[in-house]
Amino acid sequence: MHAPPFAIAHTVEEALSQLAALGPQARPLAGATWTMRAPLRGEQTADRPLVALGGIAELHQISRDAGQIALGALVTHDALASWAAEIPALAGLASAAGKSANPGVRRLATLGGNLATQDFAAADLPPALLVLEAEVELATEAGRSRLPLADYLATRASAPGLITRVVCPDPTMRTAHARLPMRVAGDYPCAILSLAARMAPDGTVAEARVAVGAVDPVARRWSALEQALTGQRPDPELLRRLASEATGTFTPRDGPDVPAAYRLQVLPALLTRAFAALLSPAAPEVSA
Amino acid sequence: MTPPPVTPILHTLSINGEPRVFVGDPMTPLSTVLRDHLGLTGTKEVCGEGFCGACTVQIDGAAVPACLRPVGLLEGAEITTIEGVGEDSAAARVQAAFLDHDVVQCGMCFPGMVMCLGPLLSRNAPLSRDDIKAALTGNACRCTGYERLIDALMSIAPSATPGPEVSA
Repeated sequence: MHAPPFAIAHTVEEALSQLAALGPQARPLAGATWTMRAPLRGEQTADRPLVALGGIAELHQISRDAGQIALGALVTHDALASWAAEIPALAGLASAAGKSANPGVRRLATLGGNLATQDFAAADLPPALLVLEAEVELATEAGRSRLPLADYLATRASAPGLITRVVCPDPTMRTAHARLPMRVAGDYPCAILSLAARMAPDGTVAEARVAVGAVDPVARRWSALEQALTGQRPDPELLRRLASEATGTFTPRDGPDVPAAYRLQVLPALLTRAFAALLSPAAPEVSA
Repeated sequence: MTPPPVTPILHTLSINGEPRVFVGDPMTPLSTVLRDHLGLTGTKEVCGEGFCGACTVQIDGAAVPACLRPVGLLEGAEITTIEGVGEDSAAARVQAAFLDHDVVQCGMCFPGMVMCLGPLLSRNAPLSRDDIKAALTGNACRCTGYERLIDALMSIAPSATPGPEVSA
């Protein structure tokens, strides 16, 4: 008797055991919003064994203590947005989780699924978490380990095990998230920019972290711009120029919906919008 | 290694307060089960990818697209469709307001609109037109009847700026 092709796990250990028993083609199933659309993308997945993770209680938990934030892999975008909205330094993450897709999808789509889906270049959470210097906790039958998010994103096609949590230091910098969908809402953005910054008393940028999604196939930090921003005043004209001068490091996705050049063209505007949100008088104070 | 064939599984679902049974692939979308196997055709299948909202149902009180919910994940969940809104629920109040304001045009999107707005209304919090637009981001109306739809909901929603109290 073979193992069932659709298993429901109640613990992480049970899920790992089921995945091993079902063979190398088996995949974990989180919110299912990406998997359910596989036929529309022409993917042949009908015979793929699946292990449903929704019954694993620990994967739904969020915690904030001892200077650390830990987000369970099955936390939905909706739950993440609601929770992060209460923490000023997570304004960028709250925006990323609260503006992706549409409300119904946000109630289903999970953090872990968003990070693990390798063909989803326009995911909002990876850039927002990259500027928080997040790490991904992976569970394998050998135990649990952590990987910097950037390393996970670069190797996720072959990464073993399950994402159990995303962990980051309790942030002390202000954050913001800017995205440009083709329509006002409910659409995939053609470019996403997340920002974390600390301002010096003289109004210049003391430290900046910038991450970009939806442009290259995989979200990543924009190191060249981060260096260029340090010590500069966030004047919109200057921001646009610095961003324009630093776009040479991208290899943007091209397609009939969004030409590659356009994805680069909008990045300076997204940077100015992100700084405007971050420096807005309405933005809550962030305590160091 | 060839994966094993999909084995039909017996799924017991709670739909509109009644136990219902479906035997089949656990990855079958709930919208397909409702329409093709249980005869609950008020839930409309249109885009099949969670963008249009026509298939919106309430699962444990939350409005979600039924096309993206595999039935294998729904054991123990309480599913409410447009057929189950009754006469006293928030969704029923939305439905009545749509009728009162003559909102319905072709009608294809309306079950989803009702099921989406019911939970919003049941929060009993003041609503602005922008709140309603934000809630409807995932519900498309090809007849573009949005403004009357918002008018209808505003007519029954708690006001964000209540008028002065009137003493008896």
